[in-house]
Amino acid sequence: MKFVFFHLMPYPYLPDDFDTRYPSPSLTFPNRYFDRETGNRLYHRYLDELEHAERLGFDGIAVNEHHQTAYGLMPSPNIMAAALARRTSRAQIMVLGNAIGIRGNPLRVAEEIAMLDHLSNGRIVSGFVRGIGWEYFAHSINPTRSRDRFNEAHDLIIKAWTSDEMFQWISPNYEYRYVNLWPRPLQQPHPPIYIPGAGSTETMRFVAQRRYTYMSVYAPTRVVRRWFDGYRDSAAELGYEPDPEKIGLSIPIFVADTDAQAHREGRDQLMWLFHKGLKQGPELMNPPGYMSPSSMRGVLAAGMTPFPQLSYEDLLSGGYAVVGGPASVTARLRELRDELGFGQLIGLFAIGGLSHERTVRSMELFSTEVMSALRSDQPATTG
Amino acid sequence: MGPPLLFLHAAGGAGQWHEFHELLAGRFRVYAPDHPGFGGTDEFGEVEDMSDLVYHYLDVMDRLGLDRPHVVGGSFGGWLAAELAVAAPHAVESLTLLSPAGLRLPEHPIADLFLMTPQQLGAALFHDPAKAAGMFPAEPGIDDILAAYRDMSGLARFSWTPFLCNPKLERRLGRIVAPTRVVWPDDDRVVPIEHGHRYAGLIAGAELRVVADCGHAMYFERPAEFAAAVTEFLTELTGASR
Repeated sequence: MKFVFFHLMPYPYLPDDFDTRYPSPSLTFPNRYFDRETGNRLYHRYLDELEHAERLGFDGIAVNEHHQTAYGLMPSPNIMAAALARRTSRAQIMVLGNAIGIRGNPLRVAEEIAMLDHLSNGRIVSGFVRGIGWEYFAHSINPTRSRDRFNEAHDLIIKAWTSDEMFQWISPNYEYRYVNLWPRPLQQPHPPIYIPGAGSTETMRFVAQRRYTYMSVYAPTRVVRRWFDGYRDSAAELGYEPDPEKIGLSIPIFVADTDAQAHREGRDQLMWLFHKGLKQGPELMNPPGYMSPSSMRGVLAAGMTPFPQLSYEDLLSGGYAVVGGPASVTARLRELRDELGFGQLIGLFAIGGLSHERTVRSMELFSTEVMSALRSDQPATTG
Repeated sequence: MGPPLLFLHAAGGAGQWHEFHELLAGRFRVYAPDHPGFGGTDEFGEVEDMSDLVYHYLDVMDRLGLDRPHVVGGSFGGWLAAELAVAAPHAVESLTLLSPAGLRLPEHPIADLFLMTPQQLGAALFHDPAKAAGMFPAEPGIDDILAAYRDMSGLARFSWTPFLCNPKLERRLGRIVAPTRVVWPDDDRVVPIEHGHRYAGLIAGAELRVVADCGHAMYFERPAEFAAAVTEFLTELTGASR
């Protein structure tokens, strides 16, 4: 099993009337609530935690991209990866991912990831995401073109990384008459690619065809099971069985010394994440055309409860998150691994307004007790 | 039968034959097609933006054999109607614009329909909240949601950015030669009436008329009044020209 420490870099200090006054911490939540001094301290604290994760033996440290939101403070994940590149030496640095669907100039992503690959001496993992719905408002990109833009940008970036000759790129959304990447990435043929999926069968096929790593997003175990099965089915149709390491479960994890302490300290923070951080209506999540009709029908038919309506107990029993003392967390993760057949665990440890001290304690307990126990298990058998 | 009238629908209302259409159909031969990607019409993926949509409708007019129809458009369809009359000034007998989008007035922005909840949308569209309640089912089924999402996706395709406008349209309005009437509801919370003044000011001979106690849903909220406004204008015209 491969272990990744993923940071969202939330800004958890919301006003008291947030729940009644604001539809979401994203897009239109006023930036006057970003206190400059507090935000400044958070960046350094969060980067310290990512660096500490390497010392604790995590195989990867991961960042992501979000815009105009208190949910996560990384409009440019590549800048965070650059900050980590020369302060770490062993862990993979995972950008999960660049939102290439909303980038005006995806060639810039190819250039930056190639540079990061050199700064990190070949430790970069390049995730690609479409960008969340509200980000199409934030960056004025037409969501009806989202999937085409993603696919074209992906193909352009891969070709830019791998081509030894200058080429021209012409596709419906992009035109480059001279593509001639300097530098080329260090890893050959290019850095590993991760793609998150949220149930779209198009994405499952896309990832399986290219043998990329498929990772989940916040969802209950029963739903993630369908996604991972779908990915495995897509691979089977192509005549292969994916390495479990190419299936990544992303999940918030909080470990404290005892179960009672973990629930006492973790409850409010987990509720912050799902009730405030992830508060967003369908208008923000799925702007028009962002979802294909079949994916939209699938989402509606799945009938997932909106996050703010889930209780703490729902979150734990449904498998949205894992909280407990080391023994309980280990047992729960074994259960999930056996149910879902993932070989990579992408854990979110700095949840909501969890303090630095409690975050670090959770990471350390995870490292010394949970990770070591799971590493000594036999390799996971797939679903 | 009467003379041909091409009606171009708004963001909502594709696929519906409404009281408003019925009233117009008493005097005119009304054609009310659904735009590509709306209602029951296919996507026509090659129709990517407003200029494609204009060519699409010039083709539709040819195919239907519409010789200089009266063109009436509401909101998004009003913008489209203005673009048609700019592109092919002599293909249009007259132009009636019902609270059309299409202009970019940064001081008077069009409300962001894409960001609204169904409740907010109903409140923004109607002067009378009771009428809004009738238009949006309290507990929509999956097919209702998918149909509404499809229409909004159709709208987004042509108008996400630039937002519900063609920045070049304003300086092209002088090309319009068809007699033009601009009609606005007095309580329009979606497209501010300043857009109406601008249209009326830039299209030669155009007049702006206002319908009282009505929101941007216009012919859904006050079908009789909007049908009367259109009929009155077209009757004046035909009376004058014959």
